[in-house]
Amino acid sequence: MADFAWTIPFWPALGWLVLGLVGGHLPRRLVAWIGCGTVALAFAAAVAARATFPGEPQERTLFTWIAAGAFSVDAGLLLDRLSIVMVLMVSGVGLLIHIYSVGYMAEDRAYSRYFAYLNLFMASMLLLVMGRNLLVLFVGWELVGLCSYLLIGFWFDRERAANSGRKAFVVNRIGDAAFLIGVLLLWTSLGTLDLRAIGAQAATLGAPVMVTASLLLFTGATGKSAQLPLYTWLPDAMEGPTPVSALIHAATMVTAGVYMIARLFPLFTHPVTVVVVATVGALTAFFAATIALVEWDMKRVMAYSTISQLGYMFLAVGVLAPAAGIFHLTTHAFFKALLFLAAGSVMHAMHNVIDMHMLGGLARPLRYTAGAFIIGGLALAGIPPFSGFFSKDLILERAWEHAVGGGSPVPFILGLVTALVTAVYITRAARYAFFDQSYREPHPHEAPPVMLWPMALLALLSVAGGLLGAQRIGAPLLEFLAPQFAEAAPHEAAPGLFVPVLSILAGVAGVAIGWLGYRDRRDPDLGWVARLFSRHWYLLDLYDGVLVPAAKRVAVLLAGPVDLGVIDRAVNGIGALAVGGARGLRRLQTGYVRQYAAIILVGTILLMAYWATR
Amino acid sequence: MQVGLNHYLAVSALLFGLGLYGILTRRNAVAILMGIELMLNAANINLVAFNRYVAPGALAGHVFALIIITLAACEAAVGLALVLAVYRNLETIHVDEINVMKW
Amino acid sequence: MPPASDLALLVPELWLAALGLVLLGVDLFVGEQNKRTVGWVAVGGLLLALVPTWGLAGAVHRPGTTVFFGSYAVDGFAVFFKFLAIIATTLVILASMDYFRASGDRQGSTQRFEGEFYTLLVFTGLGLVLMAASADLILVALSIEFVSLTSYVLAAYLKGNPKSNEAGLKYFLFGAAASAVMFYGFSLLYGLTGSTSLYVIAEKVATVPAPALTVSLALMLAGFGFKISMVPFHQWTPDVYEGAPTPVAAFLSVGSKAAGFAVLLRVVAVAIAPSGLDYVTLIAGLSAVSMFVGNLLALPQRNIKRMLAYSSISHAGFILIGVAAFGGAFGNTGLLIYLFAYMFFTLGAFFIAALIEARLGSDDIPDYAGLSQRAPGLAFLMALFMLSLTGIPPTAGFFAKFYIFAAAIERSPALLWLVAVGVVNSVISLYYYVNVIRTMYLLPPQDPARIQEPAVLRTALWVTGAATLLLGLYPQPLITFARAAALLLP
Repeated sequence: MADFAWTIPFWPALGWLVLGLVGGHLPRRLVAWIGCGTVALAFAAAVAARATFPGEPQERTLFTWIAAGAFSVDAGLLLDRLSIVMVLMVSGVGLLIHIYSVGYMAEDRAYSRYFAYLNLFMASMLLLVMGRNLLVLFVGWELVGLCSYLLIGFWFDRERAANSGRKAFVVNRIGDAAFLIGVLLLWTSLGTLDLRAIGAQAATLGAPVMVTASLLLFTGATGKSAQLPLYTWLPDAMEGPTPVSALIHAATMVTAGVYMIARLFPLFTHPVTVVVVATVGALTAFFAATIALVEWDMKRVMAYSTISQLGYMFLAVGVLAPAAGIFHLTTHAFFKALLFLAAGSVMHAMHNVIDMHMLGGLARPLRYTAGAFIIGGLALAGIPPFSGFFSKDLILERAWEHAVGGGSPVPFILGLVTALVTAVYITRAARYAFFDQSYREPHPHEAPPVMLWPMALLALLSVAGGLLGAQRIGAPLLEFLAPQFAEAAPHEAAPGLFVPVLSILAGVAGVAIGWLGYRDRRDPDLGWVARLFSRHWYLLDLYDGVLVPAAKRVAVLLAGPVDLGVIDRAVNGIGALAVGGARGLRRLQTGYVRQYAAIILVGTILLMAYWATR
Repeated sequence: MQVGLNHYLAVSALLFGLGLYGILTRRNAVAILMGIELMLNAANINLVAFNRYVAPGALAGHVFALIIITLAACEAAVGLALVLAVYRNLETIHVDEINVMKW
Repeated sequence: MPPASDLALLVPELWLAALGLVLLGVDLFVGEQNKRTVGWVAVGGLLLALVPTWGLAGAVHRPGTTVFFGSYAVDGFAVFFKFLAIIATTLVILASMDYFRASGDRQGSTQRFEGEFYTLLVFTGLGLVLMAASADLILVALSIEFVSLTSYVLAAYLKGNPKSNEAGLKYFLFGAAASAVMFYGFSLLYGLTGSTSLYVIAEKVATVPAPALTVSLALMLAGFGFKISMVPFHQWTPDVYEGAPTPVAAFLSVGSKAAGFAVLLRVVAVAIAPSGLDYVTLIAGLSAVSMFVGNLLALPQRNIKRMLAYSSISHAGFILIGVAAFGGAFGNTGLLIYLFAYMFFTLGAFFIAALIEARLGSDDIPDYAGLSQRAPGLAFLMALFMLSLTGIPPTAGFFAKFYIFAAAIERSPALLWLVAVGVVNSVISLYYYVNVIRTMYLLPPQDPARIQEPAVLRTALWVTGAATLLLGLYPQPLITFARAAALLLP
């Protein structure tokens, strides 16, 4: 395998270094060239890696990171079938979004800072998918979270943006804490952190350890991939620049959880884990889709849609079809990035207006953008021959086989219903923004070519991407991935027509409902159902109405009447609890020497009492 | 009845308790310092008594006691200097009044 | 009489003592405006002291090498802490040079007693070296007091500043009381075993009645706990850190703490462990409490030095995980690695606090707003230190935490709960550390004027920053070194 394949993550890192150190002094053109050029090099290296890939997994040790006796962890990279697919997707979509950003951010003051962060993100994400062991993966995992935080809060003069960034970071870290404990547990049980070794030895683990470790890792994945119940940060993350939403919060970072599970797939094959993953995925898919149905902010519609589609991917892994999950991950990256870029183009034209109440009739002035959005929307809705149909249909087929084979029918049923809801909400959004008349801006202008070309390429991929996995033409992507997932449930050779027909019916019906039921930017009166959806199935009431006040009450008990205004709602209950506890403890810190001395005495006596009572 | 190790230990414990009591109840920094000296001397009594009764062959206990006496003198020197500096600035050596910093 | 060859093993200590005396002499001949010269001599001397220390690292391979009748250890463990103490002292002196100049200019005072300050720092460094190597209760007592006395003076060094006075006095009263309690514990331990040598105590401790031993250990823990700012002996920490000159606070949080851990380990692991007393559970409990108390109290802080003080308490808790895991294959190394890595990023964070304090006259975190525009380099480094304190990869802090968690799990599955507590605490700590980053990067500056970075301090900062990053990316040399050091502990 060619040596330059191993340089993939280092090109964007180089770009980050250059832009971070001297970017402020460089002309904008050069900044753009460095920002995009380094990613292009990474993409070129990824293509070369695919071209010269010998079939067997390749590993490269950069240096020994930790070596202590029998235990050793390398800072090493791994290129196998799965990581090659991920690297190609990440660097390819990343490159297009970088180019789009050149136009989108053209007016921004902090141009070089933006590209520096974006390059750092690319480097981290590529490290994440190429990491050879869990520790390297975790480094990437944390760094992408950090970049996400910096980029969400990129427009720091908006208070909401800064707070959303922090919320994303903190919620992610809650998941990461579970993830880290899972990693440590795996290490003590197996004595290795090597990803392939863990995969190979997972079967030797006892059931309790296997379930515990896999669920801990899964908790980390729910945080990063915004699944129930840790989904709340992703909609708020839309405060960041739109290309960032497209890259980080739709195509790449949020899929890290799916990637991690697919990577350690043998670990996730225990029946208990399987049920949990599939159920959480299916529930999230349906739940988020219903919220998207009543959301008016176009980017937030897309955010809930992303959560929902990620739910599909988890569903796929949960019905033992990881290849289908990765396939959907890939097509989703294409069409969701396209949808976001189109939404960004709308914002560009409408001076950052994104509330669908204020849009309408944009299909005429923004011809290309509308075309892109419609292609992306049809792919999302699962209408053949667009790419989304193939991948979603594959997942549904596998869920069906799973149900028929004695598994739970819930994933299939929810998956099918979600397909219908998905088609409805994306049609609604497209109709409101592009077709219904009357928008206030008199002359919106189409985006410059530097923004349109990436959209065109993504549109092409959204149309043709399905060929990667179309069963009837040999499914090149699935064939390529097949040796990776030997443990996956065996797939029946000839799929019936039953599921595809249902799937197409759901999509077409959804589009029809969306087109006919929603017009002139007025939702049909759904009564309590609409309220149910817009309150997140009363989950918001649970969070805001029960958990936060409860935590506050505990805090007040601990601390007496204190000003809780400082508590950022971002960390809701936990923050309140912690700050409250802190205020209680603080009272001990009076500044009086004698009291301190008394505490020494009490402390010493307690230490003695500890042994006295044993 | 002869005076034995336990008698010394009792005196030392008493002295330690007295010193602790002084630290906890006095508001004057110098008085607190005196309490600390009492506690150090309690340790000294222990050391000398143990040397006599437990390890009479060696001098480690005596040496330790001498060193603690020296340390006590050093502590007193530094401590009084600090008290003086505080008095110059704040015009008080009552420790309850010296609490600009808290929480 | 001890053989003269013993002296050859004491070259670093003798060198440091001589250096301190020379500095006092140099100070006499240097004019008030050129006191920096004293600092440069000190830095040069300290760097030279690394040479004989390096020689020792190669020479000492037998476990438990001691000199002066077994009272002073020259093992890898001691050598490791020699390095740590000397590097920390050097960096703190580099940082102090600018701090004194800038804060002196701002307050218009000329009497700064700068020369004596450097001298005291060098002597304190010597005290730290002695602490880590003492293998006899008498020497332990002597060296702890040595460090304490100089530290009291350093904390109160800004004579005209009421906060500094208060810090000094509180530190003194608290420290003297803790020492007195600890000495009482020493006297009991001596009475129980009839010896002051830790190695002899180790041989006899198994036959000692357990209740008496526990009383003695509890009393000693008060003294050690004070030095490492472990809950419940932590109360002085925030007040002293806030009031003391910032470089001194940095020194206390790194140097005293590390040496305190060295003594704690030597006494507990060498002398007490053979008794079979279950100290692990107790240390684990204290560790958990320290982490929680430190982190929760750090949350509402606005003053960066108080925040770092509480963070230092919580880090004491993290390091105590290593003490609890001591004896396992990783525990020994984990603790040493943590202390070494912790030195760099904590010093760095304090140095930036010192610089901001000297330039802006403020310790408040809200005044860090927009630092990314006023001083991009500083903001980047501070962000790095904060991430490292939180334990985000690929910084030294992450690596240290990972290692110490791994050590606890490896030592005994019964410590798994402690690891969980540790991980939860790193999440809590994230909140206040990231708040600093958020303030620097995401809030607009009140005053857009650039902040100057003085050259000397910049050197110290880049050294700490580079170490923070390098130890995270390539920690292998440190691991090798720490393993060698930990194995030599008898």
